[in-house]
Amino acid sequence: MRLLTPLRCAVMVLFVVGIALSAREVRSAASPTWVSHAIPEARGEIKVTPDGKRTAVRYKGWTTRDYGAFRTYAYDDTRPEPLVQKATAPAGVIGDPTKGRALFLDRQRGPCTGCHLVPGADVWPAGSVGPDLSTFGDRQLPDAFVYQQLWDPRVTYPATVMPPWGAQGVFTPEEIVHLVAFLKTLHGPPPPELDGDRNPFTRRRPTGFGDNLDPTNNPAVVRGEDAQSLWKTPGANGKSCADCHAGGPQQAMRGVATRYPRVVAEHGRVMSLEDFLSVHAEATTGRSLASESDANIDVTVMIKMASNGLPVAIDTTSAPARAAIERGKATFYRRVGERNHACADCHTPERGASKFLGGRFLGDATTGLTRHFPTWRTNQNEVWDMRKRMQWCMTPLGANMLAADSAEYAELELFLTTFDVGKPLSVPGIRH
Amino acid sequence: MGDIGKIRIRVPSNAKAGDVVRVRCLVIHPMERIERDAQGKIVDRNYNYITRVTATYLGKPVVVFDLSQSVSENPAFSFALKATAPGPVKVTFVDTHGGTYEGTADIAFA
Repeated sequence: MRLLTPLRCAVMVLFVVGIALSAREVRSAASPTWVSHAIPEARGEIKVTPDGKRTAVRYKGWTTRDYGAFRTYAYDDTRPEPLVQKATAPAGVIGDPTKGRALFLDRQRGPCTGCHLVPGADVWPAGSVGPDLSTFGDRQLPDAFVYQQLWDPRVTYPATVMPPWGAQGVFTPEEIVHLVAFLKTLHGPPPPELDGDRNPFTRRRPTGFGDNLDPTNNPAVVRGEDAQSLWKTPGANGKSCADCHAGGPQQAMRGVATRYPRVVAEHGRVMSLEDFLSVHAEATTGRSLASESDANIDVTVMIKMASNGLPVAIDTTSAPARAAIERGKATFYRRVGERNHACADCHTPERGASKFLGGRFLGDATTGLTRHFPTWRTNQNEVWDMRKRMQWCMTPLGANMLAADSAEYAELELFLTTFDVGKPLSVPGIRH
Repeated sequence: MGDIGKIRIRVPSNAKAGDVVRVRCLVIHPMERIERDAQGKIVDRNYNYITRVTATYLGKPVVVFDLSQSVSENPAFSFALKATAPGPVKVTFVDTHGGTYEGTADIAFA
């Protein structure tokens, strides 16, 4: 034994070194040296006032609620998923179906109708991600089981899309008793449907907004055309894009956008075109193209328009790219936030994709959702790039958004772009 | 967007003399709305929307749109005209704040 001790020590030393190395590797993936180049409202910062109140700094009109108590997509957020909780209904509370129905429809909470259809003309817009509950009462499920389903459905269905409403504190125990009472009152046959669009299973599917490259149809095209002047205007260093990239953006940038996002060795991270511009333009011309700034989006639209029609051809085979895609995929399936949702819950065909979440038709990530970004959003009257779209998704998840140019989002975008490979770019798109 | 008054006009590029062509034009404009109170009276607001769109072809007026309300942010209008000769289509937008925005597109024969 005594002879073995030095060997054992050596093994232990190796083991410890191994941990240290792998830890460093993870950290370099999250790029600790990267300082956000985003505009202040896009950095995902939290402001703490002297009295300890925490408000999130976000875009104008967005919620400022701090979701700091819940898991995020940050690589250094090592908090585990919330534990699965068993629960029993509180004694002495009698369920009130009327209160339960109001809670079911309350848009400040679930709303449960975002995923489940129940009868009533005021149920608008109902979604179809979860089962139609119009005749749920006929199933005669025991109250205790239904209570547990609402409190934390992972007890019965570990991979469910439904959030653990009670376990995460969205509904109180009393409220869940009311909800159970309401669900038990739903008996068939459901009343005849007067409006085909009320029912998400018969609702018309969105048909698009016409030709997205027609400047009289898509105002975002104007933004790309405007950037032509930025191309030629010198920045603080006295140089302009045109000084190095000869032949105008149409010629010089043809095909460039098809290769992004990519691993940029110089910065040790994955970068989308927007990310790259935020450092490259400043380094070469002295002009700041901060992430999410108007100028950044304009130039991105212009450069991507130069590749319209060309197939997406990102690097998916090199070792760093494959590692980054794996991390992006892990993010896509990672459950975060108050709702304990993953991107995959809404955007994969076996779960929510191509179904209605409330009135919103959920995109299917496996068809490729990135090749039309930056895109004109008809309901916002704004041009959004992929990152702002991702940040916007964080609110329904109940998670704090990361910086627009964070490595986490970049690698997620890279993973999503793998589904676009071989399909033609068409920028700017138009979406609701 | 700080691009109020930017105009894009689209005319067919392969028209022939005598063809009826459709002209489509878009203006970047916020088109801020009128609001009414519970009694239905117009609330006095500093609303700003496009009230009049006029188009001329070869210097002659071809169409006038009178708008009584804000139809849409960044509105698009389209109209048809008979292309008799190559020449400019000029579209003028006037808003309630007195802003006048002009754009032209040339009809050329293939």
